[in-house]
Amino acid sequence: MVVAIGFEGSANKLGIGIVVDGTVLSNCRRTYITPPGEGFLPKETAQHHRDNIITVLREALANAKICTSDIDVVCYTKGPGMGAPLQSTAIVARTVAQLWNKPLIGVNHCIGHIEMGRLITGAKNPTVLYVSGGNTQVIAYSRKRYRIFGETIDIAIGNCLDRFARVLKLSNAPSPGYNIEQMAKKGNKFIQLPYCVKGMDVSFSGILSYLEEKVPKLLAEGYTPEDLCFSLQENLFAMLVETTERALAHCNSQEVLIVGGVGCNERLQEMMGQMCEERGAKLFATDERFCIDNGVMIAHAGAEMFRSGCKMKWEDCFITQRYRTDEVETTWRDD
Amino acid sequence: MANDSINVKLEIPFPTNRLAQIVYDVLKVDQEPKRSGVKKELSVSENILKVKFVSSLARQSRVAVNSFFESLNLIVETIDFIGEPTSEEYTHF
Repeated sequence: MVVAIGFEGSANKLGIGIVVDGTVLSNCRRTYITPPGEGFLPKETAQHHRDNIITVLREALANAKICTSDIDVVCYTKGPGMGAPLQSTAIVARTVAQLWNKPLIGVNHCIGHIEMGRLITGAKNPTVLYVSGGNTQVIAYSRKRYRIFGETIDIAIGNCLDRFARVLKLSNAPSPGYNIEQMAKKGNKFIQLPYCVKGMDVSFSGILSYLEEKVPKLLAEGYTPEDLCFSLQENLFAMLVETTERALAHCNSQEVLIVGGVGCNERLQEMMGQMCEERGAKLFATDERFCIDNGVMIAHAGAEMFRSGCKMKWEDCFITQRYRTDEVETTWRDD
Repeated sequence: MANDSINVKLEIPFPTNRLAQIVYDVLKVDQEPKRSGVKKELSVSENILKVKFVSSLARQSRVAVNSFFESLNLIVETIDFIGEPTSEEYTHF
């Protein structure tokens, strides 16, 4: 039995979760929400995490109803992410590891998402679409690594959506992407937008610039903000479904797993579901509790690493803003 | 201004050597950002955490010292919440 506590704070979500062998004991989270039209910056986000982390930790320990001496391993997000928020979170993880005298393991954020998705949905060996505010990757497992088949060559899809929400001055609560999704449901006039799939990779920044420039003109022509949200979503998600389908065909896989914050978008799930149905594949997705960054995913991935004998030297418990998914050897998978 | 002319030295006392050692171990893992222009040296003697900042500009030292205190504060808050260390030394290096 492995009891693990996980600290996540790579972006504007601060999460602490506790798991016992894949069973979630607690999953606590706070989100730093900025005013409409503004994004979150590293300094302010780190301050938010420092202000809230003890409260979240207290909540996580209380909800889990366990004795701290039962905890086997302390896990934290090593990267990728914003430096200052990662560091604030790692500092607390290191301090509790020292005070409790427990081993400390740094977890790759992307691996956390994948392992959490596999745990919750029961997908065995899926082709993974990882879509969030900071990452967009199509991933498949092969010989001890999660390999990146395609990814964004500039900004992440969530970043594109968030920044478009800022153009329209949509609220950032609960998240800009959620508000775009709700508006898109009411849109029906489709606007042709640039479609940027380059081989297995995708590009979003050009689409965003195009829209940023055209929004006043389009609104004047009688398109509603709802139409714009609708068109943007359809266009972006079509790009993702196309690259995922190609990866699926290449790997001869029968499973697709969507993880990451944008993964809770129901329209994306619907489009991916259609593609899967046509191919006779199965789609796995989770809801906002596990899609959006959380501490449980770090705890679970860290527990898997710990179980497979992974140890980290104290000097290696730093944080790194760049940390690719395929840098990690998946010692816990033997298929 | 001449290079490395700004020196800041701080000494922070803790109730025990063990606590000073923990704070030192937690802080020493993070390097100063490459472009900060600041050299930071940490050490512990007895129950005192010592830190020295060397830089060529006052602005750089100010940023480094502020950031140091933010981190230190967070560690102390965590210790206050969790309580005394459960062991005499950390055994998982």
